[in-house]
Amino acid sequence: MLEAILFALPILTALLAGIQAIRTRSLIRSALWLAGVSASIAVLFYMLGAHQVAVIELSVGAGLVTVLFVFAIGIAGAEIQPQRPIVPKTLAWVLILVAILLLAGFALPFATTVQHSTEPETTSVFWQQRGLDVIVQVVLIFCGVLGLLGVLAEEKAPLDQPMVDEIAAERERDLRNLEYQSSQSMVSSQQGQTR
Amino acid sequence: MNPTTLKLCLMAVLSLVGIGLYGLMICRNLIKMVIVLQILVKAAALGLILAGQMSSQINLGQSLGITVIVADTIVAVVGMALAVQVQRRLGTLDVDALSSLRG
Amino acid sequence: MATFLMLLTIGLPWIGAICVWWIGDRRPRWQHILATGFSVAAGAASILLLAFSSSGVALRIPVGGFFGDFTLVPDGLGVFLAVIAAVVGSLAVIFSVDYMRGKQQLGRYYALILLFIGAMAGLGLSGSLLFMFVFWEITAFCSYALISFHNDDPKAVAGGIKALIVTQLGGIGLLIGALIIRSQTGNYQILDFLANAASIQPSILNLIAFGFLAAAVAKSAQVPLQTWLPDAMEAPTPVTALIHAATMVNAGVYLLARFYPAFRDVPGWATSVVTIGLLSGLLAALMALVANDIKRCLAYSTVSQLGYMVYAVGTGSVFASQFHLLSHSVFKALLFLSAGAVIHIVGTRDMREMGGLGRDMPFVRAVFVIGSLALVGLPIANGFFSKELILEGGLMHGPRWAYIGMLLGAGITACYTLRMVSMVFYRKRGSVKASHDAPVAMRISLGTLSLGVFTTWLLAGAFGELLTGSLPYHQLQTSKTFDLALELLNAPATWLALLVILLGFALWMMHKQLKPLIVFLRPLSRIAENRFGFEHLNQGVIRIARSLSSVLRRTQTGQLNWNIVGIVGGLGIVLALLTWRI
Repeated sequence: MLEAILFALPILTALLAGIQAIRTRSLIRSALWLAGVSASIAVLFYMLGAHQVAVIELSVGAGLVTVLFVFAIGIAGAEIQPQRPIVPKTLAWVLILVAILLLAGFALPFATTVQHSTEPETTSVFWQQRGLDVIVQVVLIFCGVLGLLGVLAEEKAPLDQPMVDEIAAERERDLRNLEYQSSQSMVSSQQGQTR
Repeated sequence: MNPTTLKLCLMAVLSLVGIGLYGLMICRNLIKMVIVLQILVKAAALGLILAGQMSSQINLGQSLGITVIVADTIVAVVGMALAVQVQRRLGTLDVDALSSLRG
Repeated sequence: MATFLMLLTIGLPWIGAICVWWIGDRRPRWQHILATGFSVAAGAASILLLAFSSSGVALRIPVGGFFGDFTLVPDGLGVFLAVIAAVVGSLAVIFSVDYMRGKQQLGRYYALILLFIGAMAGLGLSGSLLFMFVFWEITAFCSYALISFHNDDPKAVAGGIKALIVTQLGGIGLLIGALIIRSQTGNYQILDFLANAASIQPSILNLIAFGFLAAAVAKSAQVPLQTWLPDAMEAPTPVTALIHAATMVNAGVYLLARFYPAFRDVPGWATSVVTIGLLSGLLAALMALVANDIKRCLAYSTVSQLGYMVYAVGTGSVFASQFHLLSHSVFKALLFLSAGAVIHIVGTRDMREMGGLGRDMPFVRAVFVIGSLALVGLPIANGFFSKELILEGGLMHGPRWAYIGMLLGAGITACYTLRMVSMVFYRKRGSVKASHDAPVAMRISLGTLSLGVFTTWLLAGAFGELLTGSLPYHQLQTSKTFDLALELLNAPATWLALLVILLGFALWMMHKQLKPLIVFLRPLSRIAENRFGFEHLNQGVIRIARSLSSVLRRTQTGQLNWNIVGIVGGLGIVLALLTWRI
């Protein structure tokens, strides 16, 4: 019981931080609440015995990513918009509840510990059993660097409004052409009939 | 670890997934969506570690968790890059402005 | 050796395609040379392959548990299809040297043709259904891209898309069949399936049989999916000759022949095949009788001849159907290419504007008449032997009503062929004139093909041996060429057919005297001009699809949030299905 209470503390913090991250209007605060989620999850990792991951999560998830977010928000501007959600909240709630309850029905019966023979160290698991994944991760990191360059890319002049209008106009034209073609084909088929 | 704790942790994973999905449906700001996505992925990483703990293969779980964290960080970086570019081009972060896929 | 040759037959055209595309449109001379060289080399490799045919798997490359093995089987049917693709392909490429001289975008043209030749050879040789499907789809893509080759012409683009959509219907049938076979026999190997066909549940075998029938009907342009072939005539003529007359459209017949032993006993299958063949043979011949576009006329004739082959498979004469496939590839490629020469020189496709062209281009006239002889089925030409074989097989093993219909079809064939020849080459002079006869490269390929018209029937015995020797499940019975010819000449059915053909000739010769009869048949011809309403059927389908999609369009809001709602909803549905095991 004591163990469960001990675990409940970081879990509750994580959930609370997560809810706050969604509720708050300010982007900066949202990013900081995310760091909170990250930190409490790192604690959970540690308690579950995953020490290495806990450290990585704390430094990367709570540290690096938060810094990046703050940086990006600084570039993009922390605008606060009229946030009337597009999707009705009730619909979202219902869907989430249905999906999560069903998932819980699947997962909870399996919540038992299975004894397994001794397994190798994390590093050897990583390099020997999952060598391909490591290569993929290297590629991923490369992509991430490119993405970062995207954030830092030189500021270009924003697209002029006329250009946006032009795109819309082109779209309209395409649609009209499509309808014109369909009416044409119908006309020609009717002509075939009369001939 | 006793079963109650395991159940508790599982429920935590599921609730975090729920919070993440709800946030994705509700949020209109692109950067905020990336943030919420992070919550969702953290839930997934927690699930992996938990599975490792449950099958007493914690090191396998750890290695998978590291993979997830790497992927997740890159998703965040690329997502933010996209958001910044969108902001520069369209002048807003509202997803409503990004509806050129409308049928 | 067989493995090596097979890889050459498939690989050489593909390497050639890359080379031609790579060398760029700035050096058209090199493009012509390379395309010709690679296609001729592939043709030579495929002919050599004939000597190494066998019934077993010659090459097996494991591609993992999911896809099964990639196998190549050099059995008679497959090698034969590969030979036709590569040889007729190389002749079409040689013809193109003159036809496409000075045209734009040669790289795209040749690359697609070479890609097609390789894929067609692969389609024949592949022993794995899944890879056969892949090759099948590559040919469909090439066909689409080449029909729309003149992509500034909306008619060409529309024709290409139509061909793509209709043949995709068939592709779905093939894929479904292949997947069911995989689920039943555990792999995609055709040989394993043929060996175990009897042990598959009848209802499931039914599904496979009709899936493959749909594939064949779409690919071979049979009723009711024949409408794409006439519209495919927007392609450059060598392409039409190669893809839409000599090779790709044969894939459907090939499929039916290949799986005939497995589906032979499926109830209703043979009858459906015979009916489809009969309807295509008759209706398309009637449409050819009233068409005024020379290529369209030939296209309908292709549908009609393919109908004969399908009918032959339905009546169990697989050999006759494959033999007619061979003859048809040769003479129809000849007809199309010589029509292409006419179009190239004269500049129009409308037969009403032509007339009396024979004096300006005696060579083209000669080869066209030779091709027509074979199409009609007069003795000495290869079409005679194969068509008579089909009709004889139909008389002996098929239903009587179908036989009579096919006989009628032979008469109509004679009638429209004579009409075509006389409208283009004889008659009084029309509004257009030919300035010269066919140039050299055209002559080479036309001459080779017309030689083939007179000689390929001599191969009947060898061809029969090839098939019987390497197809263990088909239980074919064939005889030597000489015996075959003798047997045909002695059979009363042959003389009956010849009589009907002569009647058909007479019908056209005297069509001026037979005015009352023609007036009487006016409504029929009007229906034929309207393509028997199949075009309206298509329009209807298109209209329904359009209105459906305009309803579905509203669900595509383009908003990220709604997309996520969709994802979560989908997750919920999948989980619910899993929970209650529906």
